[in-house]
Amino acid sequence: MYNSIFAGFVAAVFINLLLSILFSVFTVKLKINQIVTGVGFNLLIAGLAKFLLILIFHSSSNTPRFENFPSFPLFKNIPGVGELLSDYIILFSFALVFLSQYVLFRTTFGLRLRSAGENPEAAESLGVKVRNYKFYGVLISGFLTSLAGIWLASNQNGFSDGMVAGRGYIALAAMIIGKWKPYNIFFACLMFAFFEAFEITIQISGFGIPSQLIQMLPYLITILVLVGFIGKTKPPASDGIPY
Amino acid sequence: MPDIEFFNITKKFGELTANDDISFKILSDTVHCIVGENGAGKSTLMKILFGVYHPDKGYFCIGNDKKVFSSTYDAISNGIGMLFQHYMLIDDFTVLENVILGREPEKKFSLDYRKSENILRELIDKYNLNLSLDKKISDLSISEQQKVEILKILYRNSDIIIFDEPTAVLSPLEVREFFNIVLKFKEDNKTIILITHKLNEVKEIADRVSVLRRGKLVYECTKEELDIEKLSINIIGEIGEKDIVTRKEDVSEKKTLINFKNVGYISGNRKILDNLNLELKTYEIFGICGVEGNGQSEIVRLMMGMIKPSEGNMYKIIGEISLVPDDRIKKGMIENFNIGENILLKSPLHYISKKNIRNISKNIISKYDVRVPDFNVPMSALSGGNQQKVIVAREIELDNKAIIFYHPTRGVDIKATGFINSKIIEMRNSGRAILLISSDIDELLGLSDRLAVLYRGTVSKVFEKNEIDFKDDISRNVLLEKLGKLMIGINQE
Ligand SMILES: Nc1ncnc2c1ncn2[C@@H]1O[C@H](COP(=O)(O)OP(=O)(O)OP(=O)(O)O)[C@@H](O)[C@H]1O
Ligand SMILES: [Mg+2]
Repeated sequence: MYNSIFAGFVAAVFINLLLSILFSVFTVKLKINQIVTGVGFNLLIAGLAKFLLILIFHSSSNTPRFENFPSFPLFKNIPGVGELLSDYIILFSFALVFLSQYVLFRTTFGLRLRSAGENPEAAESLGVKVRNYKFYGVLISGFLTSLAGIWLASNQNGFSDGMVAGRGYIALAAMIIGKWKPYNIFFACLMFAFFEAFEITIQISGFGIPSQLIQMLPYLITILVLVGFIGKTKPPASDGIPY
Repeated sequence: MPDIEFFNITKKFGELTANDDISFKILSDTVHCIVGENGAGKSTLMKILFGVYHPDKGYFCIGNDKKVFSSTYDAISNGIGMLFQHYMLIDDFTVLENVILGREPEKKFSLDYRKSENILRELIDKYNLNLSLDKKISDLSISEQQKVEILKILYRNSDIIIFDEPTAVLSPLEVREFFNIVLKFKEDNKTIILITHKLNEVKEIADRVSVLRRGKLVYECTKEELDIEKLSINIIGEIGEKDIVTRKEDVSEKKTLINFKNVGYISGNRKILDNLNLELKTYEIFGICGVEGNGQSEIVRLMMGMIKPSEGNMYKIIGEISLVPDDRIKKGMIENFNIGENILLKSPLHYISKKNIRNISKNIISKYDVRVPDFNVPMSALSGGNQQKVIVAREIELDNKAIIFYHPTRGVDIKATGFINSKIIEMRNSGRAILLISSDIDELLGLSDRLAVLYRGTVSKVFEKNEIDFKDDISRNVLLEKLGKLMIGINQE
């Protein structure tokens, strides 16, 4: 049972959806500030993961090793990117770029979702059920983050404490740099990925640069890119305001 | 179309009765005007009809159906549309997206943009709305935004359309255009309810008029019976004494406080101000007339130091300038703060206690006749005109050497307009330098010492006082025609 990655997949998605529902009860229904709730969840879950790790696996650092998902065979032999393209979650994440662009900007659902973030009063006056759309939004993002977590653990063949290492914040940064547009966000993510790979390469090559300095890189880049190239980025007008 | 009839509508906000046992009838296929002082309860009554508020007592009928709507959506589904005093648009969406939201035409898996476009194009053509569908709201002028709101209403097939002070933000030409749209609605058998403070507009467009005063219905008349003098007495509830302050003779030693020399301002790649010259002097009211969007707001922002000229020079020999901004909600106040807090925002640093907030509020409320349920309510609970009075009061009381009035009497009733106008003249007499930008031509003609016409970012003509003093109706009309033409770029000299 411990070694079924598919059971793990289902459990991760299920728990994430549960947490999303809880999060939207707090922020959408009870209208509690989203940042405060978010920080609370963040701390709680980091602690909870470690607690469960000890409770179930009797280790404070990591789970036993498990097998990754079977790989997707079709592109396996393409040189260079073969390994990348044999991962289902990665393939899905590529598709997701186009899918989210389509859903957000070409469908009724997307229009209403965006209107809820821009001007909920106006949207509501036109019969858009703003609370429902906020709920859907949280649910979708909960599902997507569960995929991110699943990928991270499965790719390392095990979960270890603190393995997320601030990537959630990097995702936020990518969203800001990408100005809330899927295509732009895709490139922002590639940029961060590049610097992360760069960081690892440098560390391995042992140039004698302190690793802390190199770990700062992605954050430094965010600031530089924001100040230097992107200019003003404007969040949805009612972003983060309870309605 | 069926008639609308109100029966004993009563609505209270705490102690205050905003609507007090109101009963009357609005006939179908007519233009029905509702007039009354600031805070009389006009917007409240219309919000009840539109499902925003619930009446505490009473109901209304549309045709024979007894109705009380539980939400605006409910009202919209029943064929009612409303243009609010303050617009409900999503700034970052295009015109098209704003209009179709909530009622989007769809094809299989996606939104049918093509079909939406065709439907809206047709409506735009039919009613001469002159809008481009793919522009973002944040790039539109106020009058264009108003057209978007109108298009929203049309798209939802409303037969009953409520306009809450639609003309307050329009220049005379735009008012013309707006009335043409309204008349077209009437031709199409729509019922139009229109709130306004401008009685000459009532005279021009109304089939019937109802007057509210302090929450009660006090007077009604038809087009034939309509008499402006009588109407205004009913609005105010007394015979208004005309206490217009007289303008003192010109003084010779005027001092220039702000001087624009060949100023140009470029934003993006658009030249918004071009070779602009103007002087703001003490003891003088400098009026600017022009269609909104010809550089007015840039002149204000330059003077306030919010932007810098791209070309030419602006000389300024004063520090603080008072400003009554054009958009009171977005630029003039914090809606959740009460009156006192909003006033203190601009005073020098100051210890704030409950007591001194109370004193400041009470002082302004009595001095400027602000009608409020309670001095402690947030600004958002004040009627539109009363909010405006608070902003004007704050800026006047700051007592700076120079003051900019950008639509000072927007949404303000006749009596309060008279009061604000006299205040402006008083300030001029005491040596303040005043810039007056207004869409109300009569206000400009009545107050200005010099009047400039602004067209495409430059002053196309300046009238001196003696050129805008008209003796009779004929010379007034000649002048108005001339101004109207100048405002759209026709210069006959
Ligand atoms: N949400 C609210 N809470 C408390 N008081 C309110 C609220 N809305 C309106 N009022 C009060 O009810 C009264 C009537 O307001 P209303 O907006 O109907 O006036 P109005 O006739 O439209 O005035 P104006 O010409 O200035 O727009 C005002 O005294 C106002 O302060
Ligand atoms: Mg009103």
